[in-house]
Amino acid sequence: MAIKNTGNVKSKPKITSLLKPYTGMILLLVFFALLGNGMNLFIPKIISYGIDSFTGGNYVFKTVAFEFTGAAIIIFIFTYLQSIVQTYTSEKVARDLRKKLADKISRQSYSFIIDSNPSKLLTNLTSDIDSVKMFVSQAVSSIASSLFIIVGTSILLLMIDWKLALTVIAIIPIIGVTFFAVLKKVRVLFKKSREVIDWLNKVISESILGAAIIRVVNSQQSEYKKFLEANSEARGIGISILTLFATLIPIITFVSNLATLSILALGGPFVITGSMTLGNFAAFNSYVSILIFPIIVIGFMSNVIAMATASYQRIDLVLKAPDPVEAGTNVEQLQGNIELDNISVLYNEKPALKNVSISISGGTRTAIIGPTAAGKSQLLYLLTGLIKPNSGSIKFDGRDIQDYKKDSFHSQIGFVFQDSIIFNLTLRENIAFSSRVTDESLAKAIETAELKDFVDSLPQRLDTIVSERGTSLSGGQKQRIMLARALALNPKILLLDEFTARVDYKTEQIILSNILNNYPGITLISVTQNIAPVESYEQIVLIMEGEVIATGKHNELIESCPEYIQIYNSQRSTSRYELQS
Amino acid sequence: MNYNLNSLLENADRRQSTFASIKNLFIHVVEEKSILIKAFIAMFISAGLSLLSPIIIGHVIDKYIQTKVYGGVLIFSGILLTMYITNLGAGYVQTKLMGTVGQNMLFNLRSVVFNKLQSLPLDFFNQNKAGDLISRINNDTDKINQFFSQSLMQFVRFILVMIGAAVFLLSINLPLGAAALSPAILIWLFTKVISPWIKRKNAVSLQSIGSLSSAVQESLTNFKVIVAFNRRDYFRDKFKEANMNTYSTAIAAGVANNFLMPVYSFFSNIGQMIVLTFGIYLIARGDFSIGLLISFLAYITSFYNPLRQLAALWANFQVALAGWDRIALIMNLENDMPVVDDASLHNADSTYIVSFKNVSFAYPDGADVLHNINFNLQRGKTYAFVGPTGGGKTTTASLIARLYDPTKGIILLDGKDIRSYSPEERTSKIGFILQEPFLFTGSVRDNILYGNNNYKDFMNGKLHEELVNSGLQSLIERFESGLDTKVQTTGEGISLGQKQLIAFVRTILRKPDLLILDEATANIDTVTERLLEDILQKLPPTSTKVIIAHRLNTIENADEIYFVNAGEVTPAGSLNDAVNMLLHGKRIS
Repeated sequence: MAIKNTGNVKSKPKITSLLKPYTGMILLLVFFALLGNGMNLFIPKIISYGIDSFTGGNYVFKTVAFEFTGAAIIIFIFTYLQSIVQTYTSEKVARDLRKKLADKISRQSYSFIIDSNPSKLLTNLTSDIDSVKMFVSQAVSSIASSLFIIVGTSILLLMIDWKLALTVIAIIPIIGVTFFAVLKKVRVLFKKSREVIDWLNKVISESILGAAIIRVVNSQQSEYKKFLEANSEARGIGISILTLFATLIPIITFVSNLATLSILALGGPFVITGSMTLGNFAAFNSYVSILIFPIIVIGFMSNVIAMATASYQRIDLVLKAPDPVEAGTNVEQLQGNIELDNISVLYNEKPALKNVSISISGGTRTAIIGPTAAGKSQLLYLLTGLIKPNSGSIKFDGRDIQDYKKDSFHSQIGFVFQDSIIFNLTLRENIAFSSRVTDESLAKAIETAELKDFVDSLPQRLDTIVSERGTSLSGGQKQRIMLARALALNPKILLLDEFTARVDYKTEQIILSNILNNYPGITLISVTQNIAPVESYEQIVLIMEGEVIATGKHNELIESCPEYIQIYNSQRSTSRYELQS
Repeated sequence: MNYNLNSLLENADRRQSTFASIKNLFIHVVEEKSILIKAFIAMFISAGLSLLSPIIIGHVIDKYIQTKVYGGVLIFSGILLTMYITNLGAGYVQTKLMGTVGQNMLFNLRSVVFNKLQSLPLDFFNQNKAGDLISRINNDTDKINQFFSQSLMQFVRFILVMIGAAVFLLSINLPLGAAALSPAILIWLFTKVISPWIKRKNAVSLQSIGSLSSAVQESLTNFKVIVAFNRRDYFRDKFKEANMNTYSTAIAAGVANNFLMPVYSFFSNIGQMIVLTFGIYLIARGDFSIGLLISFLAYITSFYNPLRQLAALWANFQVALAGWDRIALIMNLENDMPVVDDASLHNADSTYIVSFKNVSFAYPDGADVLHNINFNLQRGKTYAFVGPTGGGKTTTASLIARLYDPTKGIILLDGKDIRSYSPEERTSKIGFILQEPFLFTGSVRDNILYGNNNYKDFMNGKLHEELVNSGLQSLIERFESGLDTKVQTTGEGISLGQKQLIAFVRTILRKPDLLILDEATANIDTVTERLLEDILQKLPPTSTKVIIAHRLNTIENADEIYFVNAGEVTPAGSLNDAVNMLLHGKRIS
């Protein structure tokens, strides 16, 4: 995916490039890490000196105690400073990266969000950034100080006794090679384990989002089965990973034990022959225990780096996506004349709309009728610019839709979506969702959508917070809030997507006449299933399987179009009641 | 019942001790004792062997190196080598077994959490934001996961090594050992004082991560509204606020988490200094030897090094516990809709499939929805519930399906208190097509057979036959790959009408005695709707249908019509009456 999109392997971003703006803080971090750890290397030295001076008979308690305490305090100060700088740097990097990513996403088009999948973007913003953060907070300072300790310890050992030192240093490559061999296998498993966790999370998410249907059909058992499958798989991979570690850790312990053993078996005789002091012998033992840990750390960190790099590449892919170009400059008021010419839309490489041409004149009412999945909603999405046609052109008042400045264009088109989308905000903020809404237009919208009584019945009225999935509201109330949101823009064009589906007939009639009275000259385009309310419309468009079957007034279509007649007949038996009003 | 986790968190006892949390956690996950015992044996051998080696080395120094006996050095080198090789095997067994225990615990933990979630009523899901719940379950179990899969093993081993080292230190030389270990007491006190603070900071941080992801989720799933209303700034602002909050709480948590390590190192160094100076003093007095001093220095490292690692793990552990506490809130919730005994003596003569007796209902937030409702539904008839939006139709239907229990009054299903049925029995009688259809990721087949125990093993041929017989096949053919069409929960690329078709087929295949359609065909075109009508006619004559609609053509075949408004349910008589009520009735919402 990465290669396909950037077209070039070389352009894969290095995670270190991310750190450039933070060079100062990183240097400070490394500086503290080196100081703290460098100090640590002195401790065995002090011990060895203490023992030797004692056996040599010139031991001074005060000097040893003073040096030791001093070293301990310096180590404390620097390690704590290091950890604070580390926290600040990593959180800052994470915060800035999140902000950059969110800004980028917020500028993108609707189709970009759908194509990249909202839940994937959420992962980019959360766990991917977490692993980058882990890289900054752990890998940078650990690797610097580990390398420092390995090199420093080796030099100190070589200075004490180069023959014995070489034997001990030999453990570094042995441990290193074993580690990398095992980690290479582990990494594959880690990737697999991430996939399984994603799967597991998906099962859990669906069981939460589908809570209602699960309780209606009592399918907790089958949800559990799905879950069990994912959960068992996760356990299986977990156990494979730890089996690898179960091999690795004892090997490392064994190798480092061998180092201790060689110090005893080789160093012991050196002490016996007098070519080495007892203090140095003790120091050797201490250094070995210092030496092992950094090797392990570097091994682990190589893993952190690999994970962070993969995450950063995913993030970078989003960051590098081209910004949608805002080419339009036209801010003229729309009259509502719309011309769709030979439009085709592909969805997943299948045509959703085929060669659709429709002409709508400003201030008229148009109904779009057709069976389920005929492509009606897509048509409305096209008119708002949410999606772009694969071929054909869309013109508003004779100008291409792309010529209009988005900001001004969107504020003139009110779209009432089919599904209820309520934000976790107050009712006021939900309705006056666009920043252009005035108090006056808000009041007019609420009145037109027949929400006034409902709002008045709430204790906190417009300041009532409505919940995320809008559970405390009925379907019709949500739908009318959506309508009010669109009307609050004072739109020139109003798009209704199956508005009637959740609103009762009487309310629907009242609302529609409210709209015509309160918003004179508005161009209305309504996707609907029901013929009766739209019989008087200036134009009815019948769409089936993505194609326009017929266009015309009701009395024309009822004469000429068999498909229309069929739909009409399927509704006729009740229409006599509906005519009563 | 209050199921709102955020308000529960505020009320929860914040000073719950670490120990109580651990105990609570382990009650839920511990199972296999035998494997645990084996792991401990391996661990004892491995830790014991590791701990023996410094004293042997000390012995060699005193006995052979200082007295210049080569042979002894070699013999003991051989002994050490044998010990190390044994340790290699024991180490493998121990890591493997302990790891398996950890993985099994994690497996159990996930299972109990999931089962708890499944056992809670719908109300729980309404009172909590879905995004927040998902984050809580996924992120928090992941935090626990990291602890179980990476740290638990080391945690136990470290503790064992520390105890062993302490025992050796004290038994080699009591005064020196006690002096060397004294900084550990300070560490212990310090940790005890500081842990609640660390845990609190981490809990706050986790909470703000939760709100960050629910802010992102809200904006991304509703992106079309953001674009159409030109409110990209809404997403940015919401995100900015959540981001800053996450940043500052994460720093506070990080500063707290990182405080332990330097303190531990400091005390560990002080411990070494005490051994060195006090040890030399003892040697000078003739109470100690150089070899033992070197062994002692090794033991002190064995004691304080794991302690330092424990500091890192401890922070890790606190994060896991903070995660667990958030999950424990869920684990402590109980389903407030238990199956009860039908103590009352309602006439079991059941011409009525459903009866409402003086039923009232209010949502937990106080909104009163139904007042003192009475009606009876006869077997085999078709009922329509009509009325304005917000009048209580969906609530009435939800009560019939026992998604909620009434606040007052009683509902009888087949003459028995609906609360006395087991969920299996109740749901097999009732088919409820919800207003908002939900699809699970998978194929159309998976979705129409969802929760259907009778058909789950059906081969394609048999399923096909069943679909043809019930007239459902023509609906399936509308999906381009038929039964194999892939669908997703997010459901882009599939229309609401198509989702409703799947929900319809799903419910019909279950052959319920009582079928409730809650605006179930609202987004389906009228020609298809006729087809659905025919399918409903084919259902056995004993099955009862409850249709909720405001589109009149969907209810023209109803035997009886109820008008639902302002929390009242009144019989409407004829279709004409219903129409009049609908057209002229007062709307309250």
